[in-house]
Amino acid sequence: MRSNLNVPFFAKGATFPLCWLGILIFVSLLFPMHCFGRIYIDINAPAIRKFNIAITDFKNLSRNNEHPELVRDMPGVISNDLDCSGYFTPMDKEAFLEDSDSASTLEDIRFKDWSVIGAELLLKGSYTCIGRNVEVEIKLFDVFWGRQILGKRALGDISNYRHLMHRLGNDVIQTLTGQTGIFLTKLVFVGNGSGHKEVYVCDYDGYNVRQKTSDKSIALLPRWSPHGKKIMYNSYKDGGTLLYMQDVSSGVVKKISARSGLNIGACWSPDGKRVALTLSRKGNPDIFIIDLNGKIIKQVTNHWGIDVSPTFSPDGNKIAFVSNRSGSPQIYLVDLISGTEERLTFEGSYNTSPVWSSLNRIAFVSQDAGHFDIYTMDPNGGRLRRLTEDGGNNEDPCWSPDGRYIMFSSDRKGRYHLYLMNANGLNQRRITFLKGDQTAPSWAP
Amino acid sequence: MGKKMMTGMIVLAFICSSFLLMTSCAKKQIQVSEPVQPATQEVKAEEGEAKAAEEAKSASEQEARDEAERQARLRDLKMAQKLADEIRNFEAENIYFAFDRSDLTDESKSALREKGNWLRANGDYSVNISGNCDERGTAEYNLALGERRAHAAKKFLMGLGISENRLATISYGEERPVDPGHNDEAWAKNRNDQFTLTK
Repeated sequence: MRSNLNVPFFAKGATFPLCWLGILIFVSLLFPMHCFGRIYIDINAPAIRKFNIAITDFKNLSRNNEHPELVRDMPGVISNDLDCSGYFTPMDKEAFLEDSDSASTLEDIRFKDWSVIGAELLLKGSYTCIGRNVEVEIKLFDVFWGRQILGKRALGDISNYRHLMHRLGNDVIQTLTGQTGIFLTKLVFVGNGSGHKEVYVCDYDGYNVRQKTSDKSIALLPRWSPHGKKIMYNSYKDGGTLLYMQDVSSGVVKKISARSGLNIGACWSPDGKRVALTLSRKGNPDIFIIDLNGKIIKQVTNHWGIDVSPTFSPDGNKIAFVSNRSGSPQIYLVDLISGTEERLTFEGSYNTSPVWSSLNRIAFVSQDAGHFDIYTMDPNGGRLRRLTEDGGNNEDPCWSPDGRYIMFSSDRKGRYHLYLMNANGLNQRRITFLKGDQTAPSWAP
Repeated sequence: MGKKMMTGMIVLAFICSSFLLMTSCAKKQIQVSEPVQPATQEVKAEEGEAKAAEEAKSASEQEARDEAERQARLRDLKMAQKLADEIRNFEAENIYFAFDRSDLTDESKSALREKGNWLRANGDYSVNISGNCDERGTAEYNLALGERRAHAAKKFLMGLGISENRLATISYGEERPVDPGHNDEAWAKNRNDQFTLTK
């Protein structure tokens, strides 16, 4: 790829804002409670220093000590959430000083014991089981200042405790970063564990897997609508590569496009009212925009080459796509208003799968030395950055709704599974542990 | 008088032809044992002396018919067998492509010419062409590439005069590998067009 790949993009021409940002972070760390809207972590900073957070076992306050397993399971969920966020290092419980577990009020906690082991934040929790419900309370403390930053309660079904913990995890993120967390988001993907490729959904962390199709055919390219209510996908169940839309809550499936040839790779417009896709009804694959009844609104490309994989810009006015018009698959950009087309990738002979984030970056897949890896770039082709390396093939990138994370599939462990990483490629971790292969993730709000 | 002559001529012709058949199928004669009905009342009454010959003639006539039928059945069976073989060969022979390519090699073209000849000779058959790719690359691009590969074969066959409505195409992209391996050898096998005949 490009030679300036390893030069940090902020190194030139951005020194003033960087200094300013540094001072801001420094000052805000000095006066966390009173300054700058209590933002502990500036997640827009180019480099984020991770906070050491100590998360203790939760206290079971239930009358008959019901569900003792939640003592560890509940903090386990939030610990994993905070770890996944990439902003925290949850500390090993082995390091905790023995007598530091029981106290839960500001006065009882010996913050010195926590700071001595390196904890900067401390999260404590307790729960009470009442019948089928559980009430959880968490408290977040700033160890250095010896202050409580957050206190939050949540009530819900015991069987759904992960959901409760994700909610509280989001509250922690909101408090520390001023941004909404991703812990309640969901994924849709293709799994072949049943012997057929079917559509599945799960929580962002890979838990709570549910099968959404049982067509015993080949399901492909599921795409979650921006409002989270519908899933578009391709299936061969009626013969060709036809496009279907499933209502997530009712499960009702509607055929959207069944033209001869390909009807593939539906990408939702940001407003959720239109879909860009590849049709080849006249023999040549071109990109079209259709409405949710399948009616063609616009033909976007008209070229003898293969045009596939459209992705809308956040404002909906542009589409990036893949074309082999130059002889090999490369990423192009088309302005839907002016109609002008522009080539974005020039390095390498196989660049595919563009996905445009809400923060205006494009992730894509490039082949290098026989393997596929994930890169990001600006929508003008600049600030190229390689995110995966030395780990099998890494494909099918998709952005979190907030544009700060990428979910992708990788065969670094033999078969294809879903992996999560930060937008800068750090904190790569495996998310799905299912039979067979899991591919083609799409992220719901 | 004229009528008698005619009948005589017909009988003679029958005898001659049955002799011809008998000599050509002499081996099968033993199998026939059932009594044979006289051909017509008229012949029995008026050509009493020819009765024996007539009966023999009828018998051999029946036998010839049976034999012809048997031969026809055998021929049909052979034809069916041959057709089945041809269909099997037709369907078993894939054509192959280079990585990220959909152009036909010389080898593919000669295979397609043979298929074209067969299709011309068997006008009641249509062919489904499915285009396939190896696992490398994205599902979407490979679906489009697979379609290109199917179309390449379709266009070539159309160029040989096979009508378009007998040529259906579908792309399976990388979804139906022939060889599940993850190496060059497997990939080479998986970049193909496959052919299925329908009547």
